[in-house]
Amino acid sequence: MMLVPCPNCGPRNSSDLRYVGESHSRPNPNTATPEEWRTYLYMEDNPAGPLKETWYCRSGCRQYFTAVRNTSTNEFENHPLPGAKIGSVDPSFHYVSESKSVEGNQ
Amino acid sequence: MTAFKHLLSTSPLASARESASSALGSLKPGSGSKPPRYSAAGLFVKGAKSQDWPRVWREVDLQKSYDVIIIGGGVHGLATAYYLATNHGITNVAVLDKAYLGSGGSGRNTAIVRSNYLTPEGVAFYDRSLSLYNTMSTDLNLNVMFSERGHMTLAHTDGALRTMRWRAEVNKLQDINSSVIDADEVKKLAPSLDTSPNTRYPILGALYHPPGGTIRHDAVVWGYARGADHRGVEMHQKTEVYDILCEGGSGPDGKGPGGKVTGVRTNRGDISAPIVVNCTAGWATTISDMAGVKLPITTHPLQAAVTEPVKVFLPTVVVSGSLHVYVSQTDRGELVFGASVDPYATYSMKGSLEFTEELAGHVLELMPNIGRMRLLRQWAGLCDMTPDYSPIMGFTPVDGFLCDVGWGTYGFKAGPVSGEQMAEAIATKATPKLIEPFKLSRFATGQLVGEKGAAAVGH
Ligand SMILES: Cc1cc2nc3c(=O)[nH]c(=O)nc-3n(C[C@H](O)[C@H](O)[C@H](O)COP(=O)(O)OP(=O)(O)OC[C@H]3O[C@@H](n4cnc5c(N)ncnc54)[C@H](O)[C@@H]3O)c2cc1C
Ligand SMILES: [Zn+2]
Repeated sequence: MMLVPCPNCGPRNSSDLRYVGESHSRPNPNTATPEEWRTYLYMEDNPAGPLKETWYCRSGCRQYFTAVRNTSTNEFENHPLPGAKIGSVDPSFHYVSESKSVEGNQ
Repeated sequence: MTAFKHLLSTSPLASARESASSALGSLKPGSGSKPPRYSAAGLFVKGAKSQDWPRVWREVDLQKSYDVIIIGGGVHGLATAYYLATNHGITNVAVLDKAYLGSGGSGRNTAIVRSNYLTPEGVAFYDRSLSLYNTMSTDLNLNVMFSERGHMTLAHTDGALRTMRWRAEVNKLQDINSSVIDADEVKKLAPSLDTSPNTRYPILGALYHPPGGTIRHDAVVWGYARGADHRGVEMHQKTEVYDILCEGGSGPDGKGPGGKVTGVRTNRGDISAPIVVNCTAGWATTISDMAGVKLPITTHPLQAAVTEPVKVFLPTVVVSGSLHVYVSQTDRGELVFGASVDPYATYSMKGSLEFTEELAGHVLELMPNIGRMRLLRQWAGLCDMTPDYSPIMGFTPVDGFLCDVGWGTYGFKAGPVSGEQMAEAIATKATPKLIEPFKLSRFATGQLVGEKGAAAVGH
């Protein structure tokens, strides 16, 4: 289980949300070349570390929000406290949603 | 983490091999055409005569340079090394793995093989792999326990049935044994399935593929490792690649398009090589980033689980797309379950309760009679998912840097053909026809090879 910090609903089980994916800025569809558009569609950073990503709070507030998660540990960075608006994040808050072991049960 | 070759070398199998090898003369790299055979009689004689059980492959010092460096000691890396040596005589090759051989997906998969894919490109490719699997035990002189038990993909909706008809037609055109059967035939093949019309998702029919089945995945890894070692290839475990050394590229440190590879930096020092092959599956983008090559890949965990062993009752592999589950019974009698990948990208290999709960619920919809069976274990592996569920193979914009990645949830069955084709690409410096459709540039040109309809339920 992984807890995802929704800025409106607070930490919720990841199965309550939909993972949308990496947050990439979209090129202007009117001016982008097919190649630029396909890069936007397909290319990913997929870092083993901090990743800026989008979640949709499907079973809660039904809002989209952005969060930064370390993909090796599944810890969310600077996640907003329940009720806080996006942008008013307490930087000292560090929510640990899963223990640090990365390698699983090798 | 124990190096599993140690486990193998203390196993009866290895003992038998050893005695056979002493009967056949010493095991020198490059000697003879195949690694020696194992036999029960050999095991007995060897066991009676000596307590010395040498390891199955050599542990040698890391050199300063090689002709080819392969990153990743899974089935893909090892098969590439084996065919480089066997088919092309290129033996100055090192396979590097940050952990132990087979520690990635190759030692974690559910061992299902099949060739009933959806695109003509996919079908031709996976069919070649199946034929290599068919002769693997004799080619490698190691029993890989290929069980050609048949493979059945259930359809619970009209849409699924339509995709299956489509797949069956594509398959038949390429001479693959694959056809759509109705619910009564499903019941005959696997009587434990609930085929009544009163279930939540009634079984309407299935795509039946008799040549599909299972193979012992560890044996495949060990077989290729032993075969490659026999030809002089070196395998270095606990050797992690930190960086790829490049020159002349458009990015920082000479990396990126237009540049070329000069070697790798590892926890055991720098090694130079004109050719570096990325066979790291779930870690693929971390390696390609080191060369300045961007890939359309995200890493997701795939979980699997196994029950206690019971008397054999399930003769085929059963897959259900609508229920996101597949199941097969091992020769020992355990049920092995798999599902779709976890819904978010991560490099963490932790299992989750959601997976077990969902899996159990779905399995019981298919087979209500196994409600009392107990799960023994669950585990996860990392899968390198591509947008079209097809792999990314061959040359990249960085000269000398090749990729054999994007194996998602379906790469075990592709190990042999990938190794064969990648070896040919390296030896001939040209992309073989069979893997041409899987080149990286297809994403820029929009020529995707869509296999989602045949590969979304991971196996
Ligand atoms: C639960 C599960 C079930 C599956 N079921 C099936 C199935 O039934 N049929 C099927 O066909 N496929 C299946 N798959 C998919 C299949 O297992 C993989 O696609 C396949 O094993 C990939 O093999 P590989 O050799 O490319 O990579 P892996 O076997 O994953 O090997 C990659 C290796 O790279 C090493 N590595 C990573 N980074 C570095 C570094 N920096 N330096 C050095 N080494 C590094 C790792 O240690 C690892 O050993 C399944 C996967 C999972 C997880
Ligand atoms: Zn919410």
